Amino acid sequence: MPRKSMKDSDVIELKEPKLSLGDQFYLPQVKAGLGTTLKHLFQVVVKNKHRVIQYPEEKRDDLPVEEGGMSLRTYRGVHRLNKDEEGRVKCVACFMCSTACPARCIHIEAEESPWADREKYPAKFDIDELRCIYCGMCEEACPVDAIELTHEYDIVGLTRQEMIFDKSKLLEIFDQTVEKEPM
Amino acid sequence: MREFFQSLPPWVFIAIIAHAVVLGTVAYLILLERKVAAWVQDRLGPNRVGPKGLLQPIADGLKFIFKEDFRPAGVDRVLFTLAPAMFIIVVIISIAVVPLGGVHEKTVVYDVSGANDPKKEALEKAPRGAEVVEGPRIEERANAEGESGAVLATVVYRYPVQIAKLDIGALFIIAVLSLAVYGVVIGGWASNNKYSFLGGLRATAQMISYEIPLGLSLLCIVVMFGTLQLDEIVNKQAHYWGIGGLKLLPAWNVFAQPMAFLMFLICIHAEANRAPFDLAEAEQELVGGYHTEYSAMRFAMFFLAEYMGMITTSAVCVALFFGGWHFPGLSGPDPVHPEVTASMGLILARCLVFFVKTMLVIFVFMWARWSLPRFRFDQLMMLAWRALIPLSLLMLMTTAIVVYVFGANDRAHMRVGGRMALVLLVVNGVLTVLIMLASRYLPAAPQTNRKIRVEGSRFETTPVAAAS
Repeated sequence: MPRKSMKDSDVIELKEPKLSLGDQFYLPQVKAGLGTTLKHLFQVVVKNKHRVIQYPEEKRDDLPVEEGGMSLRTYRGVHRLNKDEEGRVKCVACFMCSTACPARCIHIEAEESPWADREKYPAKFDIDELRCIYCGMCEEACPVDAIELTHEYDIVGLTRQEMIFDKSKLLEIFDQTVEKEPM
Repeated sequence: MREFFQSLPPWVFIAIIAHAVVLGTVAYLILLERKVAAWVQDRLGPNRVGPKGLLQPIADGLKFIFKEDFRPAGVDRVLFTLAPAMFIIVVIISIAVVPLGGVHEKTVVYDVSGANDPKKEALEKAPRGAEVVEGPRIEERANAEGESGAVLATVVYRYPVQIAKLDIGALFIIAVLSLAVYGVVIGGWASNNKYSFLGGLRATAQMISYEIPLGLSLLCIVVMFGTLQLDEIVNKQAHYWGIGGLKLLPAWNVFAQPMAFLMFLICIHAEANRAPFDLAEAEQELVGGYHTEYSAMRFAMFFLAEYMGMITTSAVCVALFFGGWHFPGLSGPDPVHPEVTASMGLILARCLVFFVKTMLVIFVFMWARWSLPRFRFDQLMMLAWRALIPLSLLMLMTTAIVVYVFGANDRAHMRVGGRMALVLLVVNGVLTVLIMLASRYLPAAPQTNRKIRVEGSRFETTPVAAAS
């Protein structure tokens, strides 16, 4: 029972504060409350001072952190599959990422590599972006730095099927983001 | 065709225009509410549909129309459909007795050639329900050849710019507005849902309680003017109070009876089911309250009815306390009957002034909604029965005494003179201060929401019986 661990002296009884005459009559307090809201209303309407970021046009990424912006330096967004200098997929189909994945959203089918420098390569590499929890474990597990999380977060799709990204899509994301975020 | 329209009573047109304006305003009030909510919370509000979000009401309306009209199993089919209609009819009907813009005096010339009795013919041609003040003046006009031609009759008639000029206008408002709760109760009951049912019950209790101070504070005004006619009450406010020839203040009741106005304002908040009195639909406790089970247009009707209720109650408030259409420069030429004017432009300007005043009161509604937290149910009841009802009763009694003592000179033309207004104002202030001080010595409120001791809980502070 909790009673054993708790002494009577541990209990603090909170008392309601005593109401002043104005509090009791309520109207002065109502006036104060209305004044506060009116102040905010005028700030928005007259001075155009508000706390809204108009999302597709303005983004938190573009603002300094002090003004409500967001630092993308450590942000984990959608995955990409890196390519090597010859434009081949870097992945060696070792299954480390799909083993490490706590959400089990990475599905790889390995095949014998057509190239001499490795044994296997991924014939299929699907990531269910809806199942993914963007923890970055795959990125950490990868021995050849083939899978990485980018800073892109605005990925959308009309169906669930569309949100399962396959190898070509993941490589495409690499092409789109490699300029901004080199390997 | 033209003759047919001329013979129609003027209230037909006024009714059509007033309803069109009310319905259009309701749609934009919802946008305004969302905007005010956003502004108060340092946001911008809807601004995507159309320029500055001005087409948002159309988008909202389309959404309501295209949603599935879902009726849950187990509802009372007839009442479920009837409830929103009852609500909306009742709130829109009460706009009928609100005076919108004084009295219009119109001079019309009728062609009554060939009639046996030209005077009778002219009177028959005048619109039904209009009060003929002059004429018909018959005049025979010779045509170009000098033969006797058309017989023309000039008629001057007056009609109030108001849908229905009822002798019991104020009483009608009270009666009809309290019917609005039927829509809520029946909607809640027909839904066959415990939350809706509780919402309906709360609305009933609230309506019954707040009806009383609403009526009493309205009676304060009725006692001052000795009439229940809303248009009379408005017309008698269309003058000024001042010293000597100096016009200081328009003779609006809010300046003479500020506390009665405040109580009226609180009560119409409760009557319109608006925050902080929106216990019937408290979404944190009752899901959606009485309209939990409603969707699509049926829900929209409840939603619109709430806003229409705001418009009508605010319009009544403006008529009773803010001089209705009256504004410096809008009075007619006759000082005894300032409401009569022959100019249509003046009538329209008065309607606009009335509209703007109503909108300001509605803004107060919205402003209060986004500032004040909702009452607990026992606090709500306490406010009505322990505060508003005694206070409004006292106010009514003192108003009656003041009118009896100081009203003798003002009785002649049923206006409130500056002296009486000043006395009323002082009485209002003194009563408020007295009640504020007296509230300290009133017996304490019953402990409706007291803490209940729970044996064995760790929050239990009573010393445990010595364990032996």
